[in-house]
Amino acid sequence: MLTVSVKWQKKVFESIEVDTLQPPYVFKAQLYDLSGVPPERQKIMVKGGLLKDDADWSTLGLKNGQKLMMMGTADEILKAPENGPVFMEDLPEEEQAANLGYSAGLVNLGNTCYMNSTMQCLKSVPELKSELSNYQSARTKDVDQTSHMLTVATRELFSELDKSVKAVAPMPFWMVLQKKYPQFAQLHNGNHMQQDAEECWTQMLYTLSQSLKPPSPTEDPDAVKALFGLNLRSRLHCQESSEESSETESVFSLKCHISHEVNHLHEGLKHGLKGELEKTSPALGRTAVYIKESLIDSLPRYLTVQFVRFFWKRESNQKAKILRKVDYPLELDVYDLCSEDLRKKLKAPRQKLRDIEGQKLGLQASAKSSSKGDDVKMTDAEGSSNGSGELSSGDQPGGASSHMTGIYDLVSVLTHKGRSADSGHYVSWVKQESGKWVQYDDANTSLQREEDITKLSGGGDWHMAYIVMYKARLISM
Amino acid sequence: MAPTPDPNSVGGGAKQDEATLKVPSKDPKKKDEKKDEDLSEEDLELKQNLELYVERVQDPNPDLQKAALESMRQEIRASTSSMTSVPKPLKFLRPHYGTLKAFHETMADSDLKKYLSDILSVLALTMSAEGERESLSFRLIGTEGDIGSWGHEYVRNLAGEIAQEYTKRQSEEASIDDLMELVQQIVAFHMKHNAETEAVDLLMDVEDLDLLLEHVDKTNFKRTCNYLTSAAKYLPGPDDMLVLDISYMIYMKFEEYPNALQIALFLDNAQYVKQVFTSCTDLLKKKQFCYMIARHGITFDLDDEMVADDDDREALQDIVNNTKLSEGYLTLARDIEVMEAKTPEDIYKAHLLDGRASSGASADSARQNLAATFVNAFVNAGFGQDKLMTVPSDSTTGSSGNWLFKNKEHGKTSAAASLGMIQLWDVDSGLSQLDKYFHSNDNPIIAGALLGVGIVNCGIKNDCDPALALLGDYIDKEDSSVRIGAIMGLGISYAGSQNDQIRSKLSPILNDAKAPLDVIAFASLSLGMIYVGSCNEEVAQSIIFALMDRSEAELGDALTRFLPLGLGLLYLGKQESVEATAEVSKTFNEKIRKYCDMTLLSCAYAGTGNVLKVQDLLAQCGEHLEKGDIHQGPAVLGLAMVAMSEELGVDMEIRSLERMLQYGEQNIRRAVPLALGLLCISNPKVTVMDTLSRLSHDTDSEVAMAAIISLGLIGAGTNNARIAGMLRNLSSYYYKDANLLFCVRIAQGLVHMGKGLLTLSPFHSERFLLSPTALAGIVTLLHACLDMKPIILGKYHYVLYFLVLAMQPRMMLTVDENLKPLSVPVRVGQAVDVVGQAGRPKTITGFQTHSTPVLLAAGERAELATDKYIPLSPILEGFIILKENPDYREE
Repeated sequence: MLTVSVKWQKKVFESIEVDTLQPPYVFKAQLYDLSGVPPERQKIMVKGGLLKDDADWSTLGLKNGQKLMMMGTADEILKAPENGPVFMEDLPEEEQAANLGYSAGLVNLGNTCYMNSTMQCLKSVPELKSELSNYQSARTKDVDQTSHMLTVATRELFSELDKSVKAVAPMPFWMVLQKKYPQFAQLHNGNHMQQDAEECWTQMLYTLSQSLKPPSPTEDPDAVKALFGLNLRSRLHCQESSEESSETESVFSLKCHISHEVNHLHEGLKHGLKGELEKTSPALGRTAVYIKESLIDSLPRYLTVQFVRFFWKRESNQKAKILRKVDYPLELDVYDLCSEDLRKKLKAPRQKLRDIEGQKLGLQASAKSSSKGDDVKMTDAEGSSNGSGELSSGDQPGGASSHMTGIYDLVSVLTHKGRSADSGHYVSWVKQESGKWVQYDDANTSLQREEDITKLSGGGDWHMAYIVMYKARLISM
Repeated sequence: MAPTPDPNSVGGGAKQDEATLKVPSKDPKKKDEKKDEDLSEEDLELKQNLELYVERVQDPNPDLQKAALESMRQEIRASTSSMTSVPKPLKFLRPHYGTLKAFHETMADSDLKKYLSDILSVLALTMSAEGERESLSFRLIGTEGDIGSWGHEYVRNLAGEIAQEYTKRQSEEASIDDLMELVQQIVAFHMKHNAETEAVDLLMDVEDLDLLLEHVDKTNFKRTCNYLTSAAKYLPGPDDMLVLDISYMIYMKFEEYPNALQIALFLDNAQYVKQVFTSCTDLLKKKQFCYMIARHGITFDLDDEMVADDDDREALQDIVNNTKLSEGYLTLARDIEVMEAKTPEDIYKAHLLDGRASSGASADSARQNLAATFVNAFVNAGFGQDKLMTVPSDSTTGSSGNWLFKNKEHGKTSAAASLGMIQLWDVDSGLSQLDKYFHSNDNPIIAGALLGVGIVNCGIKNDCDPALALLGDYIDKEDSSVRIGAIMGLGISYAGSQNDQIRSKLSPILNDAKAPLDVIAFASLSLGMIYVGSCNEEVAQSIIFALMDRSEAELGDALTRFLPLGLGLLYLGKQESVEATAEVSKTFNEKIRKYCDMTLLSCAYAGTGNVLKVQDLLAQCGEHLEKGDIHQGPAVLGLAMVAMSEELGVDMEIRSLERMLQYGEQNIRRAVPLALGLLCISNPKVTVMDTLSRLSHDTDSEVAMAAIISLGLIGAGTNNARIAGMLRNLSSYYYKDANLLFCVRIAQGLVHMGKGLLTLSPFHSERFLLSPTALAGIVTLLHACLDMKPIILGKYHYVLYFLVLAMQPRMMLTVDENLKPLSVPVRVGQAVDVVGQAGRPKTITGFQTHSTPVLLAAGERAELATDKYIPLSPILEGFIILKENPDYREE
């Protein structure tokens, strides 16, 4: 009979008698009584390894008073959870994209950053996406072949972007775009030339507005026009002859003219809506200078503003750039650019909006930013942007439930960096549905802070806003 | 009168003549006259007297001669006390040096001639031309006896001339007996006059340090030894060993055992260590020795010669075995109040970043969870509790297993092993907590449990050998992940033990043709760790054969690098001993040959500061290679390994690495951040931090990853706010790149390692000793980092756990005679280099007073702020036993 002590966890079982004639299993049973660890889970360290149930004590050279060590627990054995976690790495690509919270970048195919940034900005309009998805694949008569192809290519590109995590190479789209607009296929020294993003933007909208026209010419304007188009009512006034005439035109964007007095977008817009032009005056029988003053007659869902930064410099024979800093706000109010009729229409919704905001500020003084809260209250209006892009008819501007307020929120910025329109680099900055800003620099995407977005206002060699897009804040009545 | 001697006022001496040549001829005369006029009466008298003596010396009458010589001698001796200027008698005698010298030659041998020789010898101090060594030659024919009476400056000058003469005679193989006699005198003089450094310098020059033993006494041995040990760092082999030997003997002579032990450990001389134990009779002191050995991390068995009593020996062996490390560490943690477990989120501090880091991800990312596993393991290392792995297991849901299953496949290995890290050093509870994983039927979990057992036992020895008993059976299992877990676990827990039993288990794997490459690689690595610095022939043979058996394809695998590394670790710091193996390595396949060469060279000279090897390695890095060669990586790491031993070398190396960043090829640039990380490990120097921060944005992602990991290494265990901030910004900068983000997370975990209580520095005991196992652990990780993608970013991420070998609490914990913690006030401040300084300079500066236990940062030193206790070791690091001061009186 030997006595040993066994150390188990922090406890020591002193002077346990070992019957060396019995197999070690008996010893383990003794320990079971003491520790509650079932013998099959006991691991007892002896010289040269673990004590086996059928080992021979004599070969182990056990000494009287020796200290042994036991490992083992009576705890429950580890079980793997039935539903293991799902790892992002295992997910198909689309779901990874959904996890990321924003879509992929576009590969630069050789000076195509103007196209990439334009498409990224346009893609951020969910209504446009849904219109595209409703677009019939079969060509209708009144759309020419290339426009149809471009529309389909746009649709394909958008859906591909939504699906992938990695940057997409927009090759098919690029081919179609060149086909439709051969000016984009210009080569210089064997490379594609850098193009003006504004031109691309305008052409794209024009094409889409053509192809997305409802098949039967109804009263409804085409979808693109409904989204981006705005009507201007202009008053032409000739000072010499005191003639006056008025006309209305429909445009897709407002121009922000930059002169020495313009420091702010609002000033630039006003400036842009006032102009002089030479025209044959029927009264005078010769050309005379007319002053043209325009006001907005109808507001779009998405208000596009182009900063007229480029002008043709005759001396140097190139498009030069105005680097002047022009601030633009995250929240734009165009009320004073509207015509009287429109202002009347806007009055009631604006009042309501103010009431809601005032109410909110009154209720919870801490909530400073009102725009966030609006997302919740104005469910109908904002539902379209929160959803996957489906546009319900009720959300149409001028629809039964939602009304324009003349207040717009910044949703995307297309910037240019460089000194001339045909060189430099275009990048787009788009606000996501989550409220986060993402910079799309060709294939690279990165999150940005909101306060950095307003810093793209120019005045240096940093990216500066060229086209900005605002989204209307709607209110249900 | 102006004390500066005017060269124009002297006539004799060829040099002076030359000097005056350029001066307009009118000038000297004028000045001469003016000088004479300026002399005070006293000086004038002295001058006239001396001139008289000079004349009389040349007098034929021996009596007159003798009287004149005697007077001259008196004058000189009386004035040599101060040496801030040339003493007046010497100055006035200078014009007569030539005359006297000429007369000396005409004299017949006599006592008088000897007297005159003495005086000439002194005069030669200022007169003798460079390299003539006239002072010495006159001294040798002069009277024997008290040279010190001529003043300190004279003795110093003599010493310098002796050194020159000695080298000359050595080359001519002439006798040096007369010189040595003089050396005896000089050394005796220096040692008595607080000029130990000069005595040591002279003895080193004449290669006879043994003389020192006769001359040291109680008052000067500490300064002498201090100088010797510091000088050793800059001496070429084998002189450095000799110097340390002497210093060991001196310490032993004066019973300054802790210092003697330190040197014995530095020399890695078990005999010396034993001698310290046998010579010392104080049991308490022996306990302190055991703490020192434990900190060094070597395996050491006490026998009855060292400690006679069985119970005492057991108690001491317990200390050597580090069984109390966990307790001490937790005492420190409780005192500093950092017991509360931290989650990875506490470390990431994502809330400080503006909404950049994507937060809305709904699915778990396996990569990010793995990173969190490591962060959690490093941050809560040794605390025994955390918020992921050890949450109180809820029997209904089994929540303790939840985090484990948030890791994917091989990630589960690291997750299971992280439990070992959390329970670090606490073998008893660690093993029982790991037990549940052994019953899993999931191979990666078993592998992790095995590895965890190894980690828990890291640096802890136990009579029952639980690690060997538990892991031994798994080495030959079918699944290679399980095998690797067991092998790596053994390597970590038995590092430095030279355990034959394990060798007999692991060696066969190396030469098993059927074993997969990764198993072989880890077996080689583990053997290298277990036999680190042992130069074991048999292990070397096995690894060499394993290397030779590799096919061409296998040699290209990233893991193959662990084979040469395992081989190199065997020779860690052992310098020339590597040569035979290095010769063999030349026969290897060319794919691995140079890699092996560089690894062996860098390991063998690691921590030696050998300048020649630094040059060799630099030459390797200077080449611009074709693609595919990978040996420059280890060469760059080697530079850091060789140079890391002392501050100057580190600074020089940091500068030369900066050059390499500019001129080196990409493969060199990738290794440079790692080398910087090694040089400043757990020592966040601002300059290095800035360099690494710059590199962390490098366009080459491999450079950036290495720089990020290195940022973690230099800040390891410091909680450095600046590095933490940098890493936080990097985490938002790289939030999209899974690989880089993983590296950032690991680095964040490292910086907050042990919540700031740990260090990775392999140096300890005032940066004097280098723990071989700690260095082995770091070097292994760095080699793995040379090719991140397949190893750390692949499925062998658990090599990160090799760092556990270097993890030590950076604490000073004072204990009383019963080894119970005792809180006393201490001053902690920046260490000051006091080597060779006169008087009793302060050893720390800018100190603050705390009460123990305290944390010591890199470059800090502690001293007791009370006289109530006497520390048993002069090096206040780690565990320090305090003895009550019998002379202490309460005020």
